Amino acid sequence: MNKVALSLRVNGESHDVVVEPRKLLSDALREDCRLTGTHVGCEHGVCGACTVLVDGRPVRSCLSFAVQAAGHEITTIEAVAQGGQLSALQQALHEEHGLQCGFCTPGIVMTFEAFLRENPDPSEAQIREALSGNLCRCTGYQNIVAAIKKAAAQMQGGGGYVTP
Amino acid sequence: MSHPEFLYIGKPGSRKEDYRFLTGHGRYLDDIEVPGALHACFVRSPHAHARIVSIDIDAAKTMPGVLTIVTGRELSEWTGKLRLAPPIDGLHPVEMTTLPVDRVRFQGDPVACIVATDRYLAEDAAEQVMVDYEMLEAVTDMWQALEPGAPKVDETLPSNLLSHQSYAHGDLTARKREAHRVIESTFSQHRQTHIPIETRGCIAIWDQGREHLSFHVGCQAPHPYRTQLAARLRLPETQVTVISPDVGGAFGQKITLYREELTVAALARHLKRPVRWREDRLENLTASAQAREDFCRTRAAVDADGRLLGLELEILEDFGAYCFYPGNYLARVVAMILTGPYKVQDYAFDVKVVLTNKVGNAPMRAPMSVTSWVMEGTMDAIARELGRDPVEIRRINMLSAADLPYTMATKEVLADITPRETLEAGLAAIDYAGFRARQTEARRTGRYLGLGICAVVESTTYGSAFYKAAGIPGSGHEAAWVRIEPTGVVNASVGLGPTGQGYETTMANAVAEGLGVSPQQIRIHLGNTDIAPYGMGSRGARGGTAGGGTLYLCALDARQKVIAIAAKMLGIPDPALLRLIDGRVERREGSEWTPTHVGLADIARTAYLDPTALPQGMSPGLEFHKTYDPPPMTYSNATHFCEVEVDTATGGIRLSRYLVAEDCGTLLSPTVVEGQQHGAIAMGLSGALFEHVQYDETGQNLSGSFADYLVATAHELPNFEILPMHTPNRLTPAGLKGMAEGGVMGAIGAVTNAVNDALAPFGVVVNRQPLTPMYLRDLLRGKIQEPVAK
Repeated sequence: MNKVALSLRVNGESHDVVVEPRKLLSDALREDCRLTGTHVGCEHGVCGACTVLVDGRPVRSCLSFAVQAAGHEITTIEAVAQGGQLSALQQALHEEHGLQCGFCTPGIVMTFEAFLRENPDPSEAQIREALSGNLCRCTGYQNIVAAIKKAAAQMQGGGGYVTP
Repeated sequence: MSHPEFLYIGKPGSRKEDYRFLTGHGRYLDDIEVPGALHACFVRSPHAHARIVSIDIDAAKTMPGVLTIVTGRELSEWTGKLRLAPPIDGLHPVEMTTLPVDRVRFQGDPVACIVATDRYLAEDAAEQVMVDYEMLEAVTDMWQALEPGAPKVDETLPSNLLSHQSYAHGDLTARKREAHRVIESTFSQHRQTHIPIETRGCIAIWDQGREHLSFHVGCQAPHPYRTQLAARLRLPETQVTVISPDVGGAFGQKITLYREELTVAALARHLKRPVRWREDRLENLTASAQAREDFCRTRAAVDADGRLLGLELEILEDFGAYCFYPGNYLARVVAMILTGPYKVQDYAFDVKVVLTNKVGNAPMRAPMSVTSWVMEGTMDAIARELGRDPVEIRRINMLSAADLPYTMATKEVLADITPRETLEAGLAAIDYAGFRARQTEARRTGRYLGLGICAVVESTTYGSAFYKAAGIPGSGHEAAWVRIEPTGVVNASVGLGPTGQGYETTMANAVAEGLGVSPQQIRIHLGNTDIAPYGMGSRGARGGTAGGGTLYLCALDARQKVIAIAAKMLGIPDPALLRLIDGRVERREGSEWTPTHVGLADIARTAYLDPTALPQGMSPGLEFHKTYDPPPMTYSNATHFCEVEVDTATGGIRLSRYLVAEDCGTLLSPTVVEGQQHGAIAMGLSGALFEHVQYDETGQNLSGSFADYLVATAHELPNFEILPMHTPNRLTPAGLKGMAEGGVMGAIGAVTNAVNDALAPFGVVVNRQPLTPMYLRDLLRGKIQEPVAK
C-alpha cells in the first residue's frame, strides 16, 4: 500500500510521518511519534486504553486512522504531567491506589482530564457511567472512582489542575 | 517465629511504581524498541478439529515485506516437544509439538507463522496462506467427550478422559446410612478467560556472536519459563535470558511457555534477526489460555439439625484441547481444600478431567475458584432442605479456635485461621437481622432482596510438601538476594514475576523490615533471569509469603552482619545492645535506645573498602542470598456478604452491598492488599455475572470480541466494604499468610447464594453460572405472576 506523508501535531509538537493510509492513529503515535504511553488493549474500541484527546475531546486512537488526525491537536498521556508535576487527577490516582498494573491508566487519565473539565462536580453515578468506557482488570474500579472524586474536589478548590 | 512490632510493614502508603505508569513512561513489552525487529503473525485454524492436508505458502511468500513462513514441520526440527508425564496415578502422559504438524484441535490453533517487516504486512500475508483441511468431527461438551465413540481430541490417548482420581477418608457409606437426609447439590461453572488488558507478546533477540537468546516476555515465572524455553530450543540455560518488563496484567495467563512464543524464539535464532509478536484481542479471546468450566456435585449426609456427617464431591472439568499444565493440577486442589472452614472427616472425592476441542486451560486467578461456592452452596442447600437459617447451619458446622490446628479429611492441616470470627463480625457489620426484616418487608411489595454468605478458606502459599502430597509436580520454594552497596543504599531481588501487584513497594517493605532501613533506600529488581535468583515466580497467592518472606529472612541475615560490624566499629562486645532503624545504629543503655554516630553507609564503606577493619574472620562485602521453602500450605480466610435485588420481570441483578471480613495475616502493605481484595472480588463478580467463553457445537468460538465476552465495568460493580481482621501465621516469616485469590472464591459464592436467597419464594435454585437475565427468566417463567399483555 502506498504511504502518505503527513504532519501530526502532538502535545504541541509537529511530527512529520510517512504512513500507510490504513495505519491506526494509536500505532502512528506509538511507532512513528515514539509516544508509547498510549496503550493498545483491544483494537476494537471497547477497552479505552488507547484514549487520547483530539482537539481536547477524548477519542479512541485505535478507531481512528493517523491520516484523519492531520490538522488536529492531539494530546497524549505524556503531556499531562508538566515539569514533572502530576496533575491533580494523576496525583489522586497515586494517593488512592487507583492503579495496579497501570496498562489501562493512561486511557483513564485522558478520559477524565476531559470529563472533569466538562463536569467539575460529578456524582459517583456520573463518574461510574463515564468510567464504564474504560476496562480495568486489576482494581475493581473503586479506588479509581475515589481518585476522580478527590481530584474533582481539589480542582473545585482551584488546586493543581494542569491543563495540557 | 516471634512477631515484634513492625516498623515498615503493615503501614498504609502509596506505591513506588506509580509515577511511571501515571505519566505514560511504563515500559510494557510493545514499548521496547528493537531496531530492525521483524514482526510475526500466526495463521490459525478456522476449524475446531481437522486434518491438515497441505499448506500452500507460495502466494504469501511473495507478498511485500515477507521474509519467511514456517509451519509445524520446520519447527519440529528446530525445537523439542513438550512432554507432560508426571508420575501421577490416573493421569495420562501427553505430548505436543511446537505447532501442530498434521492435525488442529481447536478453532484458533496456529498452523503457520509469517515473519515480515511490519505487523500490517505480516497480517496481509497471513490471509494468503492457503491451508487445505479435512474436517473432523469436533467435541465441545465434556459429557459428550466421555461418551463411547466420541471424537478423540488427542489420538494418542485411549479416550478423552485425561485424568481420573478418587480419594476417600472415613466411612462415607456408613454416614449416609445414619444420616437424617442426604442432600444433593450441583454447581456448573462456565468457561472464562483471563483478559489481561495487555495481551500476550514477546520479543526474541538472538546474538549470533555470543550464541545467546534474550527473550522479552511478560511472565509470572521467569526462571521456570527460562528452563522450559532453553530445553525446547535445545540450548543450555546459560544461553537464554528471560526478561519480563512491566506487564499489563496476567492473572495466570502468562506463567508457562506458549507455542507462539517458542515459535518466535526459534525464528529469531533461525533468521539471526530480532523477531517480535503481539497478539491482538481476537487471538487473546480465542487462542490464549482459557480457564474454569467445571461441573461439581456434592452429596451431604446431615443429621436432623443440619450437622454435616459426611460429604461426597464429584468434579468433571473441561481442560480444552491441549495440556500446558498437568491435567489434575487445578481440579485436584478444589477437592483437597473443599471442606475448608467446616468440621467433617468422612469425605470422598472423584475428579475427572476431560479433553475437548477448545483452547487449553490454565490456572486463572483462583484456579480453585469454584471451591467456596460449592461448599457454601451446599450449606445453603442444607438450610433450604431442612428449613433452617443458613447462618445457623454454618454455626453448627464451623471450626472454632479450639479445633485448630485441624487436620482435614484430605490430611491438609488448617492452622491460624479465624472462620468463625470473620463470620460473626461480618454478620454484625451487615446487620443480618435487620436485613431479614427488610427482605420480608420488600417481598410484600413485590421486591426480591437476597443476602448471600460465603466463607472462604483460601490456600495461599503452596510449599513443596503440598505439591508432593497433592501429586502435582513442582517446588514451592523461593529465592532472594539483598546487596547493601558501598554507599549504603540497598538493591534486592527475588524470583517473582510482577504483573501489576506492586512488588516494588511491598517487597521493599519486607527488606526494610528485616534490615532496619527505610523502604525509600531500597530498590527491588525483578523479572530478569540474569539478575534475579532462581525462584518459582508468581502463582497462586505465593508472592507475599514465599517472595516477601524470603526477602525478609535474607534481610535479617544482612542485618546480623551489619550489626556485627557496627559492634566492632563502636567497640561494643554485645551485638544485642545494638539495633538498626532507618539505617542508623542505636545502642541500648539501660532501658533507653540512644543514637550512635554510625550509620549503614559507614558500615557498608567498611565492609567493601576497609575489610581489614572488619571483625576477625569476617568476609568482605554485604551480599546475601537466601532460599526458603514455606510450610506445606498457608491459609487465609474470609467471609463474604453480598446483597442483591433481583428484578423478576427482567431477570436483572442489582448488587446493592458487598462486605468482606478477611484475615490474611501480617500485611506487607495494607494499601496494596486492599487493592488486591477489590480486584479479586471484581473478577469473581464479573465472572459469575457476565463473562462467558462460548463455543457452538461445531467448536466455533462465539465470544471473540469485548462485545461478546462481557467484562464488568465501573457501572455494574458496587463499592466493597472491607473489615480487616488480620491475625499472624505463627509458622511463617513475619506472620505472613498471602492473599489475592480468595476474593474471587468468595464473590462467586456470595453472589450466587444471594440470588438464591432472593428467589427463595419461587422455589427455584440457581445452580449454574453466569447468572444472566436470560437464565433467571428461564427459571422464573411460570413461577411468577406475569403482567398480562394487552
